[in-house]
Amino acid sequence: MVSRAKIKELMNESACSHSKDKKPGEGCDKPKPGLAAGGCAFDGAQISLFPYADAVHLVHGPQTCLGSSWETRETKTSYTGRDHTQMGFTTGINTNDVIFGGDKRLGDSIDYVMEHYKPEAIFVYSTCVTALMGDDIDMTCKLGAEKHGVPVVPVHAAGFVGSKNLGSRLAGEAVLEHLIGTKEPEFTTPYDINLIGDYNVTGDMWQYLPLFEKIGIRVLSSMSGDGRVGDIRCAHRAKLNVIVCAKSLITLTRKMQEQYGIPWISVSFYGKRDTTFAIREIVTALGDPELIARAETVIAEAEADLEAALIPYRAMFAGKKAVLNTGGNKAWSIASGLQDLGIEVVATSVAKSTQDDIDKAREYLGENGVLMTKPASEQGKIIDSTGAHILLAGGRSLYTAIKKKISFIDVNQEKKTSYGGYNGLLNLAEDLKYAFRNPVFANVGKPAPWEVG
Amino acid sequence: MEFSLSRHEHKPLQVNPIKHSQPMGATLAYLGVKDCMPLMHSAQGCASYTKVFFTRHFNEPIAINNTSVSDITAVLDGGDYSILMAIENIQNKEKNLKPSMIGLHTTGLTETKGDDVRGVGMHIEIPYVFVNTPDYEGGMESGWALTVTAMIEQLTVAATEVKTNKLVFLPHLSMQPIEVEKIKCLCEDFGFETYALPDLSTSLDGYWEAGQGKLANGGITVDQIRDLATSSIVISIGASMKKSALALQKKNPLIEHLHFDHLMGLDGCDNFVAALMEIRHTDPKPLMKRWRSRLQDAMLDSHFLIGSSHFVVTGEPDMLAGICALLRSVGGTIDAAISTTFSDVLHTIEAEKVFVGDLEDARGFFEHADMVISNFHAERILHMYHNTALVIRGFPNYEELGNQLKSDQLYEGSTYFLFEIANSLRKVKHEH
Repeated sequence: MVSRAKIKELMNESACSHSKDKKPGEGCDKPKPGLAAGGCAFDGAQISLFPYADAVHLVHGPQTCLGSSWETRETKTSYTGRDHTQMGFTTGINTNDVIFGGDKRLGDSIDYVMEHYKPEAIFVYSTCVTALMGDDIDMTCKLGAEKHGVPVVPVHAAGFVGSKNLGSRLAGEAVLEHLIGTKEPEFTTPYDINLIGDYNVTGDMWQYLPLFEKIGIRVLSSMSGDGRVGDIRCAHRAKLNVIVCAKSLITLTRKMQEQYGIPWISVSFYGKRDTTFAIREIVTALGDPELIARAETVIAEAEADLEAALIPYRAMFAGKKAVLNTGGNKAWSIASGLQDLGIEVVATSVAKSTQDDIDKAREYLGENGVLMTKPASEQGKIIDSTGAHILLAGGRSLYTAIKKKISFIDVNQEKKTSYGGYNGLLNLAEDLKYAFRNPVFANVGKPAPWEVG
Repeated sequence: MEFSLSRHEHKPLQVNPIKHSQPMGATLAYLGVKDCMPLMHSAQGCASYTKVFFTRHFNEPIAINNTSVSDITAVLDGGDYSILMAIENIQNKEKNLKPSMIGLHTTGLTETKGDDVRGVGMHIEIPYVFVNTPDYEGGMESGWALTVTAMIEQLTVAATEVKTNKLVFLPHLSMQPIEVEKIKCLCEDFGFETYALPDLSTSLDGYWEAGQGKLANGGITVDQIRDLATSSIVISIGASMKKSALALQKKNPLIEHLHFDHLMGLDGCDNFVAALMEIRHTDPKPLMKRWRSRLQDAMLDSHFLIGSSHFVVTGEPDMLAGICALLRSVGGTIDAAISTTFSDVLHTIEAEKVFVGDLEDARGFFEHADMVISNFHAERILHMYHNTALVIRGFPNYEELGNQLKSDQLYEGSTYFLFEIANSLRKVKHEH
């Protein structure tokens, strides 16, 4: 079971920048009835661990938890064995289990998985009902691991303990407790890093990993995009932890610093400036002058290639203005990408952003940029006053774009291509090109024959 | 592994499940009631998953709220706090929101802790309907049916007289919005004042409007549900809906109950039309007759391809029964019909194997099948089988567009369905 003390510790993460603003013991908010809309802790834990394609992810709970969530994320893997990330495994407990306990079913399921799929490890996720029933998941996993000789990792992130973010933290705890430090790597180099928090959605990581290879940075393990369980077990031998756009795993990196002395940095790979900055941060942290020099060469080449590829787009986008209405780190990361393409970002939403994100948004947009706190009511007025040409927002804002007869991109829709790294900018540019060119937003809003005066 | 029709599971877990949960069916049913606020009594994740699931299937904003049960309230609260707080918080946040009804549905979590969701209703001023839908029992289809029954039992006012031309039909879960509309139109053509409960045909039919999607967009109104016991006819479509029809009959024994397992294929539609003709003493409209002969023609046109083909069909029981009957009527061989949950209607299916299972079980039959009819999740698995076609039916269909307008019911829908099947078969059967 997950203890209250552990949850309290995770909710009061000292490495979080906003912790200093809170009273002692206050920490992050609990979900409020009727007002919490996002995913639960289980959701967050799944997101953080699911990309391990060589492990089976077994959800110990009733039908909703897995039935509606499997095969919903485009987390790519290069794993050549059976890809378990696009499969769903659940004990799908029934009334009988609720009354008599689900431990036997879980044990039998672990046996079934090992017999038929032989994964490198099994992650067993507890859920609200099995947590409330009091199943001894730790013991069942321990017995399963002993019987089959592979790690069987209990993940105690039942949905009702909190939000998605807390779930990611709990997933980090499970990995730290059960996997990291349980195996030694075949060899090490002075340039070994762990990538933490990139889930390789639409292949984001593959946009920048080739650059790492050219420079000589070696990714020892990943938590968890395109990751392998065998690698994360060796993560304690890395020289540096690199967090990619994920505040939720700060606790994991802080603890790894305390236990194994591994320093950590937090970076992002959206847009040209961020990618260049991220690479410099990593090589500087690793501290080898030759590596730093090589990085500069690679950066210069990549930037030059990108600039050449962007020339036709820059001409197309010259003088264009954009309003951005999205949440979290997208508020500045997409803004940064747009600016790299020569588009002026006149406003961005900070309604759901942390203080860090707000500071970054201000930095990118400059003095005159508008940071919208009530985007739903503000964005229409800002489009009018600035003459913006495109709105990038969630589907609900589509009506604003149609009313204002400007272009629109749904940034919250599941995207199919990556906007990460240098080359991701080209994908973003392509999407923008088609959006600017598309007359649908003006066409669809035309009045019907019976509405014309 | 022995696959036979049984109430008992044949393995301890599900691998690549096709089953979805009862609360999700309840949410969808509530979305067919105008201005209803579906309120899931659950941790926030259950509602979040459900919202994403239907948003992607229908490509529309989905109105759903939840009571955000936490580990603390799970133990200390009997439901009063979280349900009442949720309603209060939502109303404080959205001052202009005027829900016509609160559609409360429970989940495995809140059923395990055993909340008194009936009692809470006494403290709520807005019309309130509750339904117990633990997700460790039944499936999406039964959750939908239980919700319809709950709305009838808790809202509909008992009556002692009926209006001779008033009809209500109860569609099963798997019917898409356009299918409900087509059935409504047919009944209206027979001169009936027609209602559907729930009515997704005017709420999730995918129409463009400047809606906010915070309440159900359209559907049957609460007043219309209250007034349903004055109907002269209640028609249940799908075995899962029988009990709901009986619940309405209890409100007024004068109501005549007609039941149809499905409205697919010549027989299915003929029975339905014949029943309406008998009541109204009139023929259907000429266009309906025309569609019947088009279906006859489509059956003859497609029988060769379909009659020489092997099928694997998966889905909710009521949908399975309809699809399998239509395929059988033109000679298709069904190697396996795999259901999400057990239902008596499964006994009516003519297939080599009929059983309750998942896509891991189904996969064993893919190799020798010409076509699989299943949900979105079969697509990736079928990439490995180049000579097996896929037609997507049932929940979820995440990637295809226009799901809300796919009609397989009545003469017209069955005609298009047969052509779609035959044309998809042609691609795999004649290319090698």
